[in-house]
Amino acid sequence: MAAAAPSKSEVLSLFRTLLRTARQFSDYNIREYTRRRAADAFRENRALADAPAAAAAFADGKQQLEVAKRQVLVYSLYAPKAKSVVEMKMQ
Amino acid sequence: MAAAALRPAILRHIRLSATTVTPLAAAAAAAQPHALARWLGRPMSSHADHLTHDEVVGRVLDVLKSHPKVDPSKVTPEAHFEKDLGLDSLDTVEVVMAIEEEFKLEIPDMEADKIDSLPLAIEYVANHPMAG
Repeated sequence: MAAAAPSKSEVLSLFRTLLRTARQFSDYNIREYTRRRAADAFRENRALADAPAAAAAFADGKQQLEVAKRQVLVYSLYAPKAKSVVEMKMQ
Repeated sequence: MAAAALRPAILRHIRLSATTVTPLAAAAAAAQPHALARWLGRPMSSHADHLTHDEVVGRVLDVLKSHPKVDPSKVTPEAHFEKDLGLDSLDTVEVVMAIEEEFKLEIPDMEADKIDSLPLAIEYVANHPMAG
């Protein structure tokens, strides 16, 4: 698949949307993991030079976004009754 | 004992003072029936106590200083994210998101893309009616 490389603003928009979605997880550990994982993956792939690789990484990111959106919904149905001890300390 | 003899006297005293205080409290509540409602309602309104410019500056600076990649000593109200603080575009997205969270805002992509320095971030938050 010889897709064109995504533009910088498209990439940043995907990153922002992933972080926004991560924020919606009710569970502290999942919320923080998703945020970290998104940031790490974008940093890891920031130097991708050739268009096909960048397009593939972008498509993978979009797929991960769909997974995250679905899991936000699923986890909201089974939200933990107690908050993580880390969150209790922060309040 | 002397203590046993004192007991009824003390109890009578307490009962007396309780009956005299209660009508006073009731009268105070009747005189200002909305005092409690006002006190409860205040923090929920964003317009009653809108953020001052200094408060916005202080809180934006705090958000920047607590970001792991930012050197706190370099943070000034005039700093540019990329030129002065050495952040890249991904860091900038994270910083703007952190500012959103701090002020309970949702900055649209179009606006968030333009925020690349502290003066712009401060201006956006200070002019936002829902910033809290």
